[in-house]
Amino acid sequence: MRFQYLLEQAMINLRRNGLVVISAVLAVFVTLSLVFLAVVLRRVVDENTGRWDDDIRVIAFLTDDLTLEDIDGLQREVISWEEVESVVYFTKAEALEEFRTLFADQPSLIEVVEEDPSTLPASLRIRPTEAADYDAISNRLAVISGVRQVSSADAAIDNMVTLSNILRVGAVAISIFLGGAAVVLIGNTIRMAIYARRDEISIMKLVGAGNWFVRVPFLLEGAIEGLLGGILAVGAVIGMYRWFVPFFEAFPDWIAVDIPVQFLVQSSILVVFFGVAAGLIGSAIGMWGFLKD
Amino acid sequence: MIRLEGITKVYDGGTVAVRDVTLDIQKGEFVFLVGPSGSGKSTLIRLMLRQELPSDGDIWVSGKHITKLPSWKVPLLRRSVGTVFQDFKLLPNKTVHENVAFALEVIGRPRHVIRQQVPQVLRLVGLAAKADRLPQQLSGGEQQRVSIARAFVNRPLILLADEPTGNLDPATSVGIMRLLDRINRTGTTVVMATHDHAIVDAMKRRVVALERGRVVRDQSRGAYQTGRPPEASPTAAMAPVTPGPVPAGPAPMTPPPGGDAAPDETETAEV
Repeated sequence: MRFQYLLEQAMINLRRNGLVVISAVLAVFVTLSLVFLAVVLRRVVDENTGRWDDDIRVIAFLTDDLTLEDIDGLQREVISWEEVESVVYFTKAEALEEFRTLFADQPSLIEVVEEDPSTLPASLRIRPTEAADYDAISNRLAVISGVRQVSSADAAIDNMVTLSNILRVGAVAISIFLGGAAVVLIGNTIRMAIYARRDEISIMKLVGAGNWFVRVPFLLEGAIEGLLGGILAVGAVIGMYRWFVPFFEAFPDWIAVDIPVQFLVQSSILVVFFGVAAGLIGSAIGMWGFLKD
Repeated sequence: MIRLEGITKVYDGGTVAVRDVTLDIQKGEFVFLVGPSGSGKSTLIRLMLRQELPSDGDIWVSGKHITKLPSWKVPLLRRSVGTVFQDFKLLPNKTVHENVAFALEVIGRPRHVIRQQVPQVLRLVGLAAKADRLPQQLSGGEQQRVSIARAFVNRPLILLADEPTGNLDPATSVGIMRLLDRINRTGTTVVMATHDHAIVDAMKRRVVALERGRVVRDQSRGAYQTGRPPEASPTAAMAPVTPGPVPAGPAPMTPPPGGDAAPDETETAEV
């Protein structure tokens, strides 16, 4: 009965300040939509750049007949090149591990590879001194015996990595600035609700209502505003993504647009959670110094 | 029941509202706090409710050392203390019944208790027939009865009343005093701040007189003023208080109220 009572009070507050509440919900909605959109786009980009992280631009896949000494010698030779900044030896086991994470959403593919480990060769991962040196390095590697195949980044990958970084910075910047605005707007609705009910609150305190009994309706109000904004944002972004997917299919094959459903679900939950958290922080700010006895 | 020990209250800005007040109120007593506006009556009530903390001194209310009480326990203190104010403090959009029930709802009393206790206390204050009216449909005296019902519905051990008759005509005030007297007879300690001479003189209860924040007289079965019959000066409340003989005053008599009058909302609001 008590929780129901508190919830009723929160609903009364929400109804009383309709316009202000809508503006707060919209602020949360816009903020979280932009953040969520940036997160989803970044994931699409990352699907395509997977192993090109950490400035590694050239991968030399090695033949299976090399001994450890051969590999050691090869590694020492490559590191002596001017264009190479560092070389990391990547074993078959590590390659399998990487494959598992890259294709986590496709268990059937992982099974195939696990049955025959030779499909994933060991490799040397090479970081060039200058990002643009990858061409020269792969040319020199191509003629070395023991190197089965050379794979290197190209300008498209470089652009994608840059885009991914921009999206990451963008998501953080949006959450700081617009998120701050949304929190302040929620705080404002709470303060108005407290002001509208100040007589009631002073009587509640007078007859001995517990501090949390007075506060909880306002916290609930903020949480509901954040929740609504978060749900709207998730709906909008997923709707948009669904709507756009058919257009992506016209792109060349090597661009993957499918992002794992699991990732979408997880980040949706996170987005809604952030909405609720923003609501709670907002109402805490709104109550600050206003609900002392 | 209530013990104040060496209480001094200085408000921000340096106004001294109460100076070194020591007071002992026994269980079941009926005590009038009297004195001119700004003498510190309302501040004492606020201190007993812990709406304010004293600048110095200690207060015990029903065994609790309330000046040392952590703020999360303050609600528990207020549940054992009923309060009545000059301006009633009723919620205008709730009916009489809802206003009284509100006091029980917010402290989490179950519904069946509320259903049983609210009509009972409304009968006590003589408003059972008007349970569904809104406050604005009632007279001032009836509204004050509702606020007394709200203060008493939880059966507090102590009832604090700050100028409860301040907005009412003399005839209505008598009715309110009868009600407070009846509540006092149930064993509830009543402390009432007032400057209504006629009421204090008629009730013949303990009188604690305050002046410029000091207790100048503490007399059982007292009158508003000593050495002068009340009917001799009907406008005494307006005139500066002339110092008379002080039989039981622990503090020396001070000159009439001067520059450092304490802020006292309820009293200035009355004018």
